[in-house]
Amino acid sequence: MGQALSLAVSAVLLAGFYAAMAYGLGLIYGVLRVVNLAHGGLLMASAYLTWQLFTRFHIDPYLAIPIVLVVFFGAGIAMYKGLVRFLPRGAAGGVQSLLLLFGTWLVLRNVAYLLFSGDDQAVRTSYSTAAVRILGNSFSLNRVVVFVIAVLAMLALHVLLQRTFLGKAIRAVAQNPDSCTLVGIDVERVYALTFGIGAALAGLAGLLASTLFAFNPAFGAEEVLRSFVIIVLGGMGSVVGIALGALVLAFAEVFSIYLVPSYLTSAVGFVLLVVVLVVRPNGLFGRREVA
Amino acid sequence: MRGLRLPAWLSGRTLLLFAAGLAVLYAAPLVLSMGDYTHNVMGLTFMFMAAALAWNWLGGYVGQISFGHSAMFGVGGFVAARLALELSLPFWAAWCIGGLVAGIYALLWGHPTLRLRGPYFAIATIGVGEATRLVATYWDEFTGGSSGLSLPIGQGPTKYALYWYGLYLLAGAVALSYWLRRSRIGLGLLAIKEDVEAAGDVGVNATFYQDLVLFLSGTVMGVCGGFYASYQAFIDPQDMFSFDRSIGFILMAVIGGIGTILGPALGAVVFVMIQEFLLATYPQLYLGLYGLLLVLVILFEPLGISGLLLRLGRRLGRRPTPGVAAGGIATSSSAAEGEQQPVLESPRPGQGGAA
Repeated sequence: MGQALSLAVSAVLLAGFYAAMAYGLGLIYGVLRVVNLAHGGLLMASAYLTWQLFTRFHIDPYLAIPIVLVVFFGAGIAMYKGLVRFLPRGAAGGVQSLLLLFGTWLVLRNVAYLLFSGDDQAVRTSYSTAAVRILGNSFSLNRVVVFVIAVLAMLALHVLLQRTFLGKAIRAVAQNPDSCTLVGIDVERVYALTFGIGAALAGLAGLLASTLFAFNPAFGAEEVLRSFVIIVLGGMGSVVGIALGALVLAFAEVFSIYLVPSYLTSAVGFVLLVVVLVVRPNGLFGRREVA
Repeated sequence: MRGLRLPAWLSGRTLLLFAAGLAVLYAAPLVLSMGDYTHNVMGLTFMFMAAALAWNWLGGYVGQISFGHSAMFGVGGFVAARLALELSLPFWAAWCIGGLVAGIYALLWGHPTLRLRGPYFAIATIGVGEATRLVATYWDEFTGGSSGLSLPIGQGPTKYALYWYGLYLLAGAVALSYWLRRSRIGLGLLAIKEDVEAAGDVGVNATFYQDLVLFLSGTVMGVCGGFYASYQAFIDPQDMFSFDRSIGFILMAVIGGIGTILGPALGAVVFVMIQEFLLATYPQLYLGLYGLLLVLVILFEPLGISGLLLRLGRRLGRRPTPGVAAGGIATSSSAAEGEQQPVLESPRPGQGGAA
């Protein structure tokens, strides 16, 4: 029982990170209908940026959050204006956008490899080994902080989408871009901003990842798969759906150790994905697609 | 000959070109004095051409991009290698059985996942590929784990002989490519690619067609894996099942022209040349180079080399006849596709910035 409880807390903490990781992918998919396969590359790049800021300029990872957000917001806008803008929208663009962004990811990986070599890196702060006790079990302080930041990010994103004018425009564009042009919304601008926000969220997730895991240029592949599983589980679009999806995936993965050997943990998400897509194509918590 | 009627999907001219191409390539090493290296690499290239075509049946004809085709390549390779090791089966039988097992494996994961479309299917295949790689790496009784499998020396064909087996494999893949595109099935596949529900309404059994294509694609992939095992005489799961290998198949098809009949085979030639000449010198640049190629092709010429050839043909004022480049990249349908797909065009009003 004690072990199950400890695993449950562990799963909740993990779900926080997973949700933070999936927001960016979910937002971009919900609005532009483009699966940002470069998402993994952004996570990896952000982990390296955080590591560089920490080792060179001694900026604490958590204090580097504003820098990372700004940098990746800019990078996202640049990616939209330089690449994604040229893709055809709708079904025809699906295949092309996948391949284009996948190519971008490969380039990012190669650049990281040339700059930092293929060795594993990690951000080791003075408190990296600190622990806190929750319900009688010890958990790493970093995991708790990451969880809190992920929850804050969820709230911020929710407020942005529900309470601001930009958020209203983003939701409107997600529903029907053509009508938006009729009422005077600059759709291209909203797309660019959405891509920027999505990339900034990926940057945040990469920063959080760098405090938890070791990373190398290939980092991000499994994370993209997991993020996608989460947005599918969550039924696309809603912020709360993504958080619930992350919770389901984290619990499935953590408790799968009772059933399958540990090296298969990363396959759990995939099995879940296929089962959910086949049984409930609109996601566990989705009604119809509303972004 | 006159008494035999050719099926509707095959014109006499195409058949003639096909036979001529086959004969030239068959005789080439006997007449010309190629170096050992060129000879062997050509054999390997034939296999990659066949594999690229097989990927294209699913990725191009049906429009279901697979990021996990290394799974079938690896399954075919390892089953063939095991059969050669344990039962001392002749290599061709081992390849065929390996191919069939790979085809069945493809159906096993593909039947449920193929009802997904677009990005859903593509990302599911990343999962398939990764899961297969993990299982293969840890299942060391079968695959030899991270130390891999060595094939018995002197039992299989030599690299010299493999040239011709590679050629047969390619010939088979080219014939299948033609049949799948030009026959009734090809029309069905196009319909599925355009709109799966509408295809169902006009009586195209999308499930059956997609399963069939995946099975064929997986089988040919598996045979290619068997060929590769014989060629290398040593295989290990990290290499056979690697994500990079899946990317390779995609890249060959994209470079050559996704969805065209023979484009992917051209793409495979370019891919092997890049690998042998450029990357031998700059191995640290391969991912970036692949990525850059993907980005450039998608942005500027979504039909790859085939698109360039089509443009060139039009510039010279002539409609490409079916028959260019040992069998023809251009069918009326792929030519039409070329016209419909200018990337820089935005299909919706109000997205003026995209133009």
